[in-house]
Amino acid sequence: MTHQAHAYHMVDPSPWPLTGAVAALLMTSGLAVWFHFHSTVLMTLGTVLVLLTMYQWWRDIVREGTFQGHHTPPVQKGLRYGMILFITSEVFFFLGFFWAFYHSSLAPTPELGGCWPPTGIITLDPFEVPLLNTAVLLASGVTVTWAHHSIMEGERKQAIHSLTLTILLGFYFTFLQAMEYYEAPFTIADGVYGSTFFVATGFHGLHVIIGSTFLAVCLLRQIRYHFTSEHHFGFEAAAWYWHFVDVVWLFLYISIYWWGS
Amino acid sequence: MYYKFSGFTQKLTGSGLASVYSPQGLRPGVPAEAPAMVFATPTKLVSGAGTALEYMGANQVPDLQRLFQIADGTPVHLKRGVPDRLLYRTTMALTVGGALYCLVALYIAANPSKK
Repeated sequence: MTHQAHAYHMVDPSPWPLTGAVAALLMTSGLAVWFHFHSTVLMTLGTVLVLLTMYQWWRDIVREGTFQGHHTPPVQKGLRYGMILFITSEVFFFLGFFWAFYHSSLAPTPELGGCWPPTGIITLDPFEVPLLNTAVLLASGVTVTWAHHSIMEGERKQAIHSLTLTILLGFYFTFLQAMEYYEAPFTIADGVYGSTFFVATGFHGLHVIIGSTFLAVCLLRQIRYHFTSEHHFGFEAAAWYWHFVDVVWLFLYISIYWWGS
Repeated sequence: MYYKFSGFTQKLTGSGLASVYSPQGLRPGVPAEAPAMVFATPTKLVSGAGTALEYMGANQVPDLQRLFQIADGTPVHLKRGVPDRLLYRTTMALTVGGALYCLVALYIAANPSKK
């Protein structure tokens, strides 16, 4: 490698922005073609391409960071800022759904019966499965912190066990939510209550699945010795994301499940 | 201001009076005696090849670091050879083919049959 007199990462030319952009084109056009001509070929193609792009792009970032040593302290600082900005944008994404919920529930229209929950809606009991879900997510916040301290202390075995436990708690949450959706006495088509409920909790559920995947990648990397006690930003980013998902749930639980019922 | 030895950072950190007099979680630090001198790398026995150290597989990171740091001008996405090229070419073929197919599909969608 040629001599480099600075600590910044000069990236290699990469095909992934191009393949990712084409994947986005195929998915959106594919959605339109699906709606108009009942053919899912283009959308499936787009989905396969986006998955291939995601796998290879993130694989290359692991190569650059762990195997080539490009993630120097100033580069890590940039990654930290990037992750913070990304999570901030996610906060505003969810803020929109909370805005819709409070807009509809604080001054319910006459069509809803002038009350919240709207007339005819039987809500879920917040002290049954939703409370268990709250406990599950809070417990997963504990286990992810246990994993972080284990990595910092170089306790390989404990880190693997606690990370596994965190992922299992994430899957358990997803399972409980799926069951709750199946059993819910209202649907997404039941007026503004159903819309706000399923869009907000649905996007939260999607984020739990993404967070579980992120943590699962971290577990795989931990098993393969990628994390050192000094340098493990991939794990820290996953933990930040997981805590964010956890906090969103607390707001959902308090607002929609508890106050909203 | 009082100081205590932090088990996480392995450095001195500020703390309150109480924790200084009853330190918690103090790990044994650097041993007081110098370690015994080793003049040659001891022979590693196959049977005793540290099962506890290699929990869930051996560490291959140093080998991979050597592989990925070879200065041969190959971009990072092709550095591992044949499997990388195979995956890259599949993705690129789908990209080009998919883009052309998409343009055709959009052209057909833009020209509905006039009955």
